[in-house]
Amino acid sequence: MTPETLLMAVLLGIAVVTALLALLAREVVHTIIWIGGFFVTLSAIYFVLYAAFLGVLQLAVYAGAVTILLLFAVMVIKKRIFVREAGAGVGPVPILLALALGAVLVALAAGVPGGTAYSAYDVTALSANLFTRNGAWLLLLGLVMLSALAGSIHLAREMRGAPSPPRGGVP
Amino acid sequence: MIPFDDILAGSGILFAVGTFGVLTRRNFILLLISVEIIMNTAILNFIAFSAYAPGPSILGVTGQAVAVVLVGLAATEVAVGLAIVLALNRVRGSVDVAKAMDLKL
Amino acid sequence: MTAPVPPLAYLPEILTLVAALGVFLLDTLGVRRRAAFGAWTTVFLAAAFVSVLADLGVPGLGGLATLPSSYLTAGAVGPVVFTALGLVFQAIFLSAGILVAFASLSDPDDEVGIPMFYGLLGLATLGTLLVALSADLVFLLLSVEVTGISTYVLVGYTRRDPRALEASMKFYIIGALSTATSFFGASLLYGAYHTTSLATIAQGLPPDASLALVGFGILAVGLGFKVTAVPFHMWAVDVYDGAPSTVSAFLAAGSKKMGIFAYFVVFVAVTRLFAGPQGWPLYIALGGLAVTTMTVGNILALQQKTLKRMLAYSSISQAGYMLLGIAVDTPSTLSGATLLVAAHVLMKGGAFLVVAALAQIGLGARIDDLRGLGYSHPILAGSFSVLLLSLAGIPGTFGFMGKFYIFAGAIEAGGLFILLAVVGLLNSALSVFYYARILKIVYMSDEAPAPSQESGAALHRSLTHSSQGVASPPPRGIPGLGRIAAEIRAAGAARWIAIVAAAVLTVALGIYPTPLVHAFNAAATQFWSLGY
Repeated sequence: MTPETLLMAVLLGIAVVTALLALLAREVVHTIIWIGGFFVTLSAIYFVLYAAFLGVLQLAVYAGAVTILLLFAVMVIKKRIFVREAGAGVGPVPILLALALGAVLVALAAGVPGGTAYSAYDVTALSANLFTRNGAWLLLLGLVMLSALAGSIHLAREMRGAPSPPRGGVP
Repeated sequence: MIPFDDILAGSGILFAVGTFGVLTRRNFILLLISVEIIMNTAILNFIAFSAYAPGPSILGVTGQAVAVVLVGLAATEVAVGLAIVLALNRVRGSVDVAKAMDLKL
Repeated sequence: MTAPVPPLAYLPEILTLVAALGVFLLDTLGVRRRAAFGAWTTVFLAAAFVSVLADLGVPGLGGLATLPSSYLTAGAVGPVVFTALGLVFQAIFLSAGILVAFASLSDPDDEVGIPMFYGLLGLATLGTLLVALSADLVFLLLSVEVTGISTYVLVGYTRRDPRALEASMKFYIIGALSTATSFFGASLLYGAYHTTSLATIAQGLPPDASLALVGFGILAVGLGFKVTAVPFHMWAVDVYDGAPSTVSAFLAAGSKKMGIFAYFVVFVAVTRLFAGPQGWPLYIALGGLAVTTMTVGNILALQQKTLKRMLAYSSISQAGYMLLGIAVDTPSTLSGATLLVAAHVLMKGGAFLVVAALAQIGLGARIDDLRGLGYSHPILAGSFSVLLLSLAGIPGTFGFMGKFYIFAGAIEAGGLFILLAVVGLLNSALSVFYYARILKIVYMSDEAPAPSQESGAALHRSLTHSSQGVASPPPRGIPGLGRIAAEIRAAGAARWIAIVAAAVLTVALGIYPTPLVHAFNAAATQFWSLGY
């Protein structure tokens, strides 16, 4: 077992554990912290996989922006941030389904021929690919962001002459 | 040299964790996080497959290009989700939104 | 052939983008009237529609074509491909957009976010058009996402109705889950093929076939959320129910059909790829998906008390018939599914617009509130009956043609597919019950419509707007011009015209479908042999 293999196994283990903890945490803020850790772990995995640009992007966008957005969402909906989630009972069926799915995918992974021809790409190759061959993807991402921008501005802006929300909620 | 199937198995387990979250959690934030876990699994897969792709570099890096697009897409989606929650918060009060966000099947 | 596509070939997409961006521009210029935005969107979408028809070579429009016809047989050019079936679907999506944009002219004038409604409608339509062009998995899923993001917001665009915003939230979670799952499936396919081009994927099996099989399976699940296939239909009905009826019409007629075409593009070649026992899991999954979708949708539709939820469940079951077309996967069933999709745009779009009209007239949301509608609003009720009969698949209507070709094709394919066709026929028979129940309530009862309790506010509004005869028992007999005018006023002129046009087209195309059937058959055959 080479150090690299060990490192990857440890990182993947941390990713799985943080993801599970995020879903099982009893307080929502802890969930956000765990998911932040999950994003950072994935970023480390990308560095090990010689995708340094993606690693930085993951840190900036996911570990930075998305985590903060999720924290905002929690702050908006909870008067007190440290609120315990109602622990929903987990039946056996979802667990079995998830286990079966995981087993299928792991078995699938075992069957994949272990490729060795892996190479590190520089950012030039990435940009050449992204801006020439697959420029249409960026165009489409722009359209997605346009509709998201228009939609979010519309939904989030103040309403003229709207009644303020009643305190304590509507029955 | 990292064995390729390790990464694929790891992403498979992560996908199962995300699915478990979608199936069992009923809170909007937790559902959103489950979806983000699945999305990250997809990104991880694209990067891993890209790293092991045979052939000329410009083709092999396609997986990383998809990953770049997906990171942008996921952030956009979360922003829209937050906007919807804000709008709901304005119409209902805080407490009630927390109740409404416990989605029922 | 890899010659670059002339930019003007994208004229329909450009016109649709101009429709959307122009609305935002008009908004910043200080335009506030719904009529201006609605007319702008309708005109540009109609121009795009004409452009698509010209590209398809419809006689009389040949001079307007901007796409050299050689591209229709050339195969993929980079991430896009122009196929006749894709253009047919573009025409279908655009007609859904036009129907909704035109009918929404009758929505209240003082609503919040009118420009946003039309802008997002344009962007959503643009996404559906791009789906019909895609020859690349990532391109396809990103186009689906353009429509997705627009429709999440569209569902809650009024911002005042908590139910609509909750529906928006549910739709958002389901949509995000659909995207993430689809991309996970796409990543496995990328691993198997080392490319995301559908042209390569359609050519043959990769060395690691099981990876591709699981990838296709997960992609089927992800897209299944978009077409509300049954194990993944949770909350779909809540979304259709909670959204403004005009938006529901677009969801059923436009965005769901986009999912159907995505299924077509991804899975049309799969049957040939996995010939033999290797592919059985996938065939069984697709066939099972189709059968459970139509059966569960029908059974749940039977139990519904409100019109909108009934329409939503029947929409789920109709998606099952369309999925049957791709599960059997012969040119004949694909053509049948396309016919059904075209019919469904008119039928379901029209039916949801009827729900909007009924709300404005002041009738309640329950099916029982329709009592006597046939006498108080004869033309509206007549159109609604035609649409329902077509949904049930009565011969002589457009809805019959699609189902006929799907079932005939399935029986022709033989083997287990005959079983699928039989289940489909039984379902079709079952669905007649709940449509007939509505017709009975609309026509058999003698009383005037009794407004339900919850519709009191709506009734009050309609009475102050127009004092036409909701309350007074209307006389029987042939409606006079005055009463028709009153009916048009009550239902909203543009909406009324859209509903009647949908009903008339349903009958006309049901009686004389020959040119359409020929065109669709040819397009489906070409698409089937191309494989993406």
